[in-house]
Amino acid sequence: MQTFIISKILLLLSLLMGIFLHAQVTVSGKVNFKGKGVKDISVTLKNTYDGATTDENGNFTFPTEEKGSQILVFSNAKFVEVEKPITIANENLSINSDLKEQISEIDAVVISAGSIEASDKKRATALLTPIDIYTTAGANGQISSALETLPGVQKIGETEGLFVRGGTGTETKFFMDGNLVNNFFGNSIPGIKSMDRLNTSLFKGNVFSSGGYSAAYGQALSSVLILESIDFPERNSVDLAISPLFINAGFQNVNEEKSKSFGISAGYSNLGLVTKLIKFNNDFTKAPESFGTNFNFRIKNKNGGILKYYGSFDTNKIGLQAESLEANIDFDNTNLKGKNTFHNLSFKKKFGQYLLNLGSSYTYNSSFIALSNTFEDEEINPNTIDITGNYLNTKGTLGRKINKISAVRAGIEYNQSNEKTDVSAAPTPSEFKDQITSLFAETDLGFSNNLSAKIGVRSEYSNAIDRWNLAPRFAMAYRISKTWTSSLAYGIFYQNPENKYFGSNPLNYQKAEHYVLQVQKSAEGRSFRLEAFYKNYKDLIKTTVLDYRPVAINNTGNGFAKGFEIFWRDKKSIKDIDYWISYSFLDSKRNFQNYDQSLFPSFAAKHTLSVVAKKFVTSWKTGFNLSYSYASGRPYYNFQTDANGDYYLNKQGRLKDFGALNFSLNYLPNLGKKDSKSFTVLVLAVNNILGQKNIYGYNFSTDGLRSKPVLPSASTFIFIGAFINFGIDKTQDAIDGNL
Amino acid sequence: MKKLFLSTLLFMAVSTYAQTNFEKAVTDKISKMEQAKTPEDFTAVSNDFARIGDKEKTQWLPYYYAAQASIEKGRNLMRTGKLTELDAIAAEAQNNLDKASDLSKDNAEIFILQKMIHNLKMMVDPQSRFMSEGMLGADALAKAEKLDPENPRISLLKAEDIYYTPEQFGGSKSKGLEMFQKSLDQFKVYQPKTTLDPNWGKGEAEYFLSNKP
Repeated sequence: MQTFIISKILLLLSLLMGIFLHAQVTVSGKVNFKGKGVKDISVTLKNTYDGATTDENGNFTFPTEEKGSQILVFSNAKFVEVEKPITIANENLSINSDLKEQISEIDAVVISAGSIEASDKKRATALLTPIDIYTTAGANGQISSALETLPGVQKIGETEGLFVRGGTGTETKFFMDGNLVNNFFGNSIPGIKSMDRLNTSLFKGNVFSSGGYSAAYGQALSSVLILESIDFPERNSVDLAISPLFINAGFQNVNEEKSKSFGISAGYSNLGLVTKLIKFNNDFTKAPESFGTNFNFRIKNKNGGILKYYGSFDTNKIGLQAESLEANIDFDNTNLKGKNTFHNLSFKKKFGQYLLNLGSSYTYNSSFIALSNTFEDEEINPNTIDITGNYLNTKGTLGRKINKISAVRAGIEYNQSNEKTDVSAAPTPSEFKDQITSLFAETDLGFSNNLSAKIGVRSEYSNAIDRWNLAPRFAMAYRISKTWTSSLAYGIFYQNPENKYFGSNPLNYQKAEHYVLQVQKSAEGRSFRLEAFYKNYKDLIKTTVLDYRPVAINNTGNGFAKGFEIFWRDKKSIKDIDYWISYSFLDSKRNFQNYDQSLFPSFAAKHTLSVVAKKFVTSWKTGFNLSYSYASGRPYYNFQTDANGDYYLNKQGRLKDFGALNFSLNYLPNLGKKDSKSFTVLVLAVNNILGQKNIYGYNFSTDGLRSKPVLPSASTFIFIGAFINFGIDKTQDAIDGNL
Repeated sequence: MKKLFLSTLLFMAVSTYAQTNFEKAVTDKISKMEQAKTPEDFTAVSNDFARIGDKEKTQWLPYYYAAQASIEKGRNLMRTGKLTELDAIAAEAQNNLDKASDLSKDNAEIFILQKMIHNLKMMVDPQSRFMSEGMLGADALAKAEKLDPENPRISLLKAEDIYYTPEQFGGSKSKGLEMFQKSLDQFKVYQPKTTLDPNWGKGEAEYFLSNKP
């Protein structure tokens, strides 16, 4: 009886439920963000299947059979989720909602004033990845040369270094995984530019800052290049490179879990053969020759910390004879022997919200230059300059995330340099020691996805200068519209006078103040940037010659650089062609070192233009690359000293405009052979294909009466080489790169 | 005793009812996905699936389909050349696929979608992303193949890759078509585990084979 009643009740209940279930009501409404309807918002009746997605105008509507107290959820990754309690009776409901923007790393505006980032972290329009560098004609696979096609960088042929926005080459510093790289370039002799010491393929990305960079970096008045090494190679491989210029072999080993890897590589290069084939403007008594080897290992621990090591040893030699400008001397002879070792260790680990970066680099560099003259086949005036240096850099940074796009970080950096210069003609060797301790703190503040700022401060104490400096930095970015962003940067930057200029006079930090304003548009496959800058130099050193070497006497020098730059990259407009154009306008004056007055610096051109274009022709398995560089004529100066030893300007002039059309092609014969064990790239490169006669400057005789031009080593340079990789099948790489 | 019997019956009735409701909802949405044309359509259907997944909490399929709808949206945008949006869409798909994979480990179908997500990300910037996304995609597909070697969708993805790869790079239309044929042959014998399990792709293989150049 009892069960009968229960079953009756149950029957009734289910009957009622059935009626209820079929009593549909419609829930509709509009979802707004800043008063405008937004599409693609998911509207859900919580814990039911019921819901809808808003249309173009933010409207939604869905039927439901649910009843009573319910929760309506509005969700979309770009907005903060909203929950609204509602009560569903028998009538249709209309519910509107306003949304708030979800602040996120992906959508947040990036501060880009002064910097060009080429890592894959955020932007699809990444610049100068290793592949870009290898396929830039005229760059010879070198990072620094490829950067010369970007705005703000001068094309300087006679000296190594990145000359940025009216700054000297020494005003740019290089960092690998956060650590300072001393002697980024090979040892060289005046007039002949040396190559990058670090191989392009070591790096997965880079940030090149031509001004207003972060407080985490210092001791650079103009610019920093921050290189980030690759984490783990994809597979075991053996590499071979052969050309009339060099041979190189190396291998990389990586375990299956990609938690440990190591590699060794060695190379030998000799220009001897090439000097016989190509006409050189220099008379080499010893064609440039070098030997180098390097090692690396990387270990990832169980908690995700990564330890990376890279170390290298190299030696190089070069001998040069040049007709002398001096009376009673026939030839000037220069011989260089260089030795260098560089070691870089870095460790990176995340602890919850904290990120720890520790690193250290050590460099030993020795450059031995033997100078002499020849007169009537007799060697006279022998002199040697022997510079040896030990450099240590150690840095620790701890960062913490505050919210999704805000963070604070602080760190300490220590630099030590010990340098000894022994000029045989001088009575005593000069020794220089300096220790710089730096503290820095910085905060990234994301106010919304459209507005963010970076505020930082850096303070340094140098033994050699014996005082602290204080350098505030500030940058912000604002998104004007979907594709346009603007950003600005301001900062004070200090740099010690170069070690070689220290003498008995007390010196101060050299100072530069940067103002950078940028607008940028990035759309599908195209990007445009316009940047204007003003740089104010103070406390630059003034020099005099003492004991056969220039020595700084005070910090009364000053100067400025201002200008604007345009950059345009387009991968879309012309089918299968990727090209970029950069133009820089620079106005600059400085009174520093041996300048006796304010002058437009001799290492800067007023107008600089670069055009780079690349095309891969699939059916020929060949990539064609062209680049054209133009720089308006730089000024040149000859300074003489008067009876008091003071400099005065004896002669000045303007070089003719610089221009070079470069061409290279990459042929990939193994492309498409599915099971080929090796992958080969054959490269043919011709720099300055039209043979334009370029002059980098003038050398003057001691009395300033006679001069001769400083010329490129070779007017037109041809390179052929084969790069073979066993183990890694890069076929797919090539395909996807050219889809 | 009778009481117990009755309530069990009732419970069964309710749960059967729920089951069919789930099945009906998923089947409905699958057909909605098949008819989707615009990116907005795919967003809506992806949201619908996610809603079902959130309610059920133990079913991997709704999240799987939610991810698939996002991927289809991405492929749709890719065809119209809108590459910059793909990162966000891949993230959206990944979010749902991760939920599916939490509920069903070692599932070949999930690895297949994983491969497709890596493809989307790679297309944003193939040159610099091949080494990362390309490899990860290949890894995912290899895992799928290990778990379910006869799955026709694995052959389908391979066929697509080969078909669109120029001959100079080791791909070819004819080899691609051979692979599509293999995929189609596999479809003929392949039985999804349940009526709701993934069963897509046959049409695409047929499309390519019927449009032989």
